[in-house]
Amino acid sequence: MYEPKIIGFLCNWCSYAAADLAGTSRIQYPSNMRAIRVMCSSRVDPEHVLRAFVNGADGVLIAGCHPGDCHYISGNYKTERKYVLLREMLEQFGIDPRRLRLEWCSSAEGGKFAQVVTEMTEELKTLGPIELGAGD
Amino acid sequence: MTFSPRIVGFMCNWCSYAGADLAGISRIKYAPNLRIIRVLCSGRVDPYVVLTAFQKGADGVLVAGCHPGDCHYISGNYQAEKKMKATWKILSKAGIDQERLGLEWISAAEGQRFADVVNSFTQLITELGPLQADPQKIASAKEETADFRIRWLVGREKDLLEEGNVFGEPVEEAVFETLLDDVVSAQYIRNSILTVLKEQSMSAKELAETLEIPSHVVVEHLIHLRRGQKVHMVEGHPIRYEVSAW
Amino acid sequence: MVGSIMVVGGGIAGMQASLDLADSGFRVYLVDKAPTIGGVMAQLDKTFPTLDCSMCIMAPKLVATGRHHNIHLLTNAVITNVEGTPGNFTVTVTMKPRYVNAEKCTGCGLCAQYCPVEAVNEYDERLTLRRGIYVDYPQAVPLVYAIDREKCIGCGLCENICQAEAIEYHQTPEEEQVNVGAIILAAGFDEFEPDTKKEYGYGRFKNVVTATEFERILSASGPFAGHVVRPSDGEVPGRIAFLQCVGSRDENSNKYCSAVCCMYATKEAIIAKEHNPDLEATIFFMDMRTYGKGFEQFYKRAQSEYGLRYTRSRVPCIEADPETQNLLLTYETEDGTITKEEFDMVVLSVGLEPPKSNQELSSIFGVPLNEYGFLDWKIFEPLKAKDGIYACGAFSGPKDIPDTVAQASGAAAMASGVVSGERGTLVEEKVYPEELDVAEQPPRIGVFVCWCGINIGGIVNVPEVMEYASTLPNVVFVDQNLYTCSQDTQEKIKQAVEEHSLNRVVVASCTPRTHEPLFQSTIREAGLNPYLFEMTNIRDQCSWVHMHTPEEATEKAKDLVRMAVAKSNLLEPLKSSSVEVTQSGLVIGGGIAGMTAALGLAQQGFTVHLVEKEDHLGGLLRDIRYTVSGEDPQEYLTGLEQSLRDHPNVTIHTQAVVEKVEGYVGNFTTTLSSGEEINHGICVIAVGGQEHKPTSYLYGEDKRVITQLEFEDMLSKGVKAKTVVMINCVESRDDTKEYCSRVCCSEAVKNALQLREQNPDATIYILYRDMRTYAFREQYYDKAREAGVVFMRYDPETKPRLEKKDKSLVLYAHDSALDLDFELHPDLVVLSTGVSPYDNSALSQMLKVPLDRDGFFLEAHMKLRPVDFATDGVFMAGLAHSPKFIDETISQAFGTVARACTIVSKERIETEPIIAEVDEELCCGCQVCIPMCPYNARELDEEEKIVKVNEVLCKGCGSCVAACPSKAAQQRHFRDSQLSSMIEAFVRR
Repeated sequence: MYEPKIIGFLCNWCSYAAADLAGTSRIQYPSNMRAIRVMCSSRVDPEHVLRAFVNGADGVLIAGCHPGDCHYISGNYKTERKYVLLREMLEQFGIDPRRLRLEWCSSAEGGKFAQVVTEMTEELKTLGPIELGAGD
Repeated sequence: MTFSPRIVGFMCNWCSYAGADLAGISRIKYAPNLRIIRVLCSGRVDPYVVLTAFQKGADGVLVAGCHPGDCHYISGNYQAEKKMKATWKILSKAGIDQERLGLEWISAAEGQRFADVVNSFTQLITELGPLQADPQKIASAKEETADFRIRWLVGREKDLLEEGNVFGEPVEEAVFETLLDDVVSAQYIRNSILTVLKEQSMSAKELAETLEIPSHVVVEHLIHLRRGQKVHMVEGHPIRYEVSAW
Repeated sequence: MVGSIMVVGGGIAGMQASLDLADSGFRVYLVDKAPTIGGVMAQLDKTFPTLDCSMCIMAPKLVATGRHHNIHLLTNAVITNVEGTPGNFTVTVTMKPRYVNAEKCTGCGLCAQYCPVEAVNEYDERLTLRRGIYVDYPQAVPLVYAIDREKCIGCGLCENICQAEAIEYHQTPEEEQVNVGAIILAAGFDEFEPDTKKEYGYGRFKNVVTATEFERILSASGPFAGHVVRPSDGEVPGRIAFLQCVGSRDENSNKYCSAVCCMYATKEAIIAKEHNPDLEATIFFMDMRTYGKGFEQFYKRAQSEYGLRYTRSRVPCIEADPETQNLLLTYETEDGTITKEEFDMVVLSVGLEPPKSNQELSSIFGVPLNEYGFLDWKIFEPLKAKDGIYACGAFSGPKDIPDTVAQASGAAAMASGVVSGERGTLVEEKVYPEELDVAEQPPRIGVFVCWCGINIGGIVNVPEVMEYASTLPNVVFVDQNLYTCSQDTQEKIKQAVEEHSLNRVVVASCTPRTHEPLFQSTIREAGLNPYLFEMTNIRDQCSWVHMHTPEEATEKAKDLVRMAVAKSNLLEPLKSSSVEVTQSGLVIGGGIAGMTAALGLAQQGFTVHLVEKEDHLGGLLRDIRYTVSGEDPQEYLTGLEQSLRDHPNVTIHTQAVVEKVEGYVGNFTTTLSSGEEINHGICVIAVGGQEHKPTSYLYGEDKRVITQLEFEDMLSKGVKAKTVVMINCVESRDDTKEYCSRVCCSEAVKNALQLREQNPDATIYILYRDMRTYAFREQYYDKAREAGVVFMRYDPETKPRLEKKDKSLVLYAHDSALDLDFELHPDLVVLSTGVSPYDNSALSQMLKVPLDRDGFFLEAHMKLRPVDFATDGVFMAGLAHSPKFIDETISQAFGTVARACTIVSKERIETEPIIAEVDEELCCGCQVCIPMCPYNARELDEEEKIVKVNEVLCKGCGSCVAACPSKAAQQRHFRDSQLSSMIEAFVRR
């Protein structure tokens, strides 16, 4: 059974907290994601995402606070703008943009976080392993 | 054709099984419906086993141990009593007549009493007729006998009532009974919900209709089951509940 | 005098007051009767009007309060006695036993998983169950479980289960005597209990819920995971009715207005609608009281964007269809038609009541209560309960979160004002050994893997993870611990650092969000820089969420450890630099807000410059002749001005405006129009506002048409007019000014009552759209009606028309309540025109702080930072922020004092260690990073043509780093190389 590998960039204040809450609530989800904590989702550089794919990630998740909730006032808006560009960029590189996800999870949304990881894992399973430079 | 009930008897090795032997040695006749399973102590009779017996077709289950104070293992028969009391509660939830589970004390010297007990229990079960319980309900009840909370409470009952609680206070029997009743009732409904949902996902309202319990009660227990990751909600109108895969 | 302060109540008010005090040099005892702090805000799903997630914005404050070394939490505690005088009180606090050792409990929750006793969960408003041993919510502070003795039967299971041996059944109540200089009461409120209103069937009808219950239903962490379903049968309601004023504005329960319900109902309806766009939401109300900053716009959006239906009617009773459990509402609309309508669910907007402990608190502290049972306070002393004892938040009357937070800071300022001389005497600073210099050493990494009892070890194969860790590059030491956070493990870690000369430490356990500071402190004690520490979360984000796949969980744990080790190789010691602070303030604006702030700062012992553009102080207050409760504003103003002029710390600059501001927090230099240069560490904007001058209703054309302030002046001299018509919302709540000016309804009532007193025969009309006499101001509205003032409601579509016919004024009005046309012949027409901001654009640019779209200054955060700006060191109070009453202005002004003291009380301020930096070699000066920073922390150095980071202003989000095209920008502790090392270590090679 193919198990996709996902890197998750989680912002410290909302989505990392949501992942913690999923834990304290014992909400079960697939174990395919490995989290990298960043202070703000806007810290995630397009280069980090590409590097993740080059280093064997089948999917990359960026998760931040809901629009308007950003701990740093407006960081997540910047993330959103970058995300749009990044998806285009991925397509140019021949990577299916569905492999990159941007999600907002508040610190009260443990359930949503688990659902996002579950859905993403499922979707990546249908997409199959990433093959860089081979039309994926 | 007259109904001939199938009865399983759990007899403790030291008293009641010996009592049965004595009945035999003494050639005392009694009803042939009983099939004895020997256990070392009546305290060993797990409610789960009792429910298994009913599930597998027993019309009655008779548990017998040493007289109070006589237990070979000091207090096993007291524990048996607590366990059977809880089992009675569980049986009634599943719509099974409590009387189908008998608990008797028979000493090694009481061959005649053994025969009398078997006869009257057989008579009773014959009058009650064949067990016609809903297999789903028996399954839910059996699930319940495995519940951690119930087993723990039943196991602690004797000490709590006799020696008091961890705060050094006495525990009133009525208070304990109420707690156990609440736990048994709640757990039974939860198990019933899970049993039904294992077959197919349903909305709270459909569950209420299927289980014939008020819908707000179903909602309350669904909340609890969802929090415990036993079920999850499926979006839509109406929102349905599914058993969680994990 | 004692340099410590007690705060009673750990809700948002208590937390804010505590943080402000602790950050400005005082020791704080925060007492809460509950086992955890957080109060009501912890229960809310979202907050109005920004719809921020309540827990998300509050959690950082919770953690900061719990972790602050100068805040001493006394939870599960009640106050039993108070003795002493201001400056030196002795308070007796009785701590109820929680039967769990707070030092040992790790908050893992295993006990609650097994506890056989179920009880209703008050945190979830009784909609869910909790166990006999519990914490209210997962983010609780302190995260220590407590046994509910009411429910617990004492079976002893938790003691058997708890691996940390934290259960202590033998605990007894403990009494502690606490010596404090001042006290702040922030005891909050209780909700009105609607079961007393039998006509609404609450309790009998499952689908009638209170607004707080609905709040939990909406919450993602609530009973239905945020799905809007009704309790009777779990169906999705298609029609929800919100009933306003349940337990408010009601002869039979509470006469006052609860001040927040119109907004929270609108908020809840909007969120419900976001969950289910097909929802039909109806709000039944009497007056829509959306009076706060941004509230009117929110109300408009609720109608135009979300299609909420607002029906002006008080629903007398609710019936339920026993079959469907649907609810039948029979109500009378304004035109007299009786309508019967069916709903699937009803939400009761229950009011705020004084806490049930109010009588007890009142007698213990000797503070007065008003007729409603809230704290009694005076308009010019809104925060004072009595000498040395202050109050904030809903304990002194219903109010929303921003007002509460502003008051909390204000109460902190007043309380610390009593003992300002003792600042810094009782605070504790932890002393660490001198740091080892490891910069040149190759990494020697120690990895500690935690079992967390069985929380991790029961799923993840901890020994295997530990073994694996030992194979990773530069790892020279590995260990496993039952509880890595326990006190004895800290000793073990320190020992390991010393014995094995470790220069990097990795802990694989729970979440860094709560535990990183503990381990950082431990390695500091061992002589390592705290940033040579890395933590990875193999519990909350691994063992707890992959319980059914232990092998995969173990693999994930290994990956996470490998990634953490990879990063730890590249960790660098970080130091916060510090800058000197000019320990003085500049207050711009000499009205009541500015004067209060200036005097407050002066009384705290700091020099203050007060700048006023006019040749006199007083601002708008000079035009206020009297208050509705009978005080003399001019007398107060004279006294305040005298205190200011007498205070040696205050310098007053009249006829002066700010021309130029340079610098940043701690080090501003401001040039005044006089040419004078002032150095100051903080700045308070208190520039005030003005009464809007209208252009409609013949104003300026006919002398008989005047504004409320003009009328007030006239009243002070005596008014003879027989028929006076007041028109409210003139050029307010419309295209001229979208916002509501908050004060006009009450001002109209005040002036009407004053006129009635002067002239009992006068006929007085008040033409209004919604009477917004919120909170206790409702009593004057009642009084005016009793005094025969005629209130006539008009809709914006059928506004009154004023004409001049043969020299006399004729007013054509349509009473929308009665649907009748009237023709009035007033002698005097008084226009309530609201408050306008001054032109603040120049000041806004000079101080680099934003304005909102109405021209008022825009705070850092609508809810939790009402007097702060995103730019550090700049604060605001009064009408510069938005229209408000005198008492609210004074509260805010004191609020700025406390916020300012967190800066000027320090000789130096330390910068955040995790901030951005610029590699000057690589920076090409393109400036793409500058607009990325919401804190104005990046600036172009004109000479060198490169961008520089102001380390004091940077908050360390890293947004600029991810934008830099030349890789010149980096974020300490989250460098590209560090993040890349984790990405590269992501797949096992």
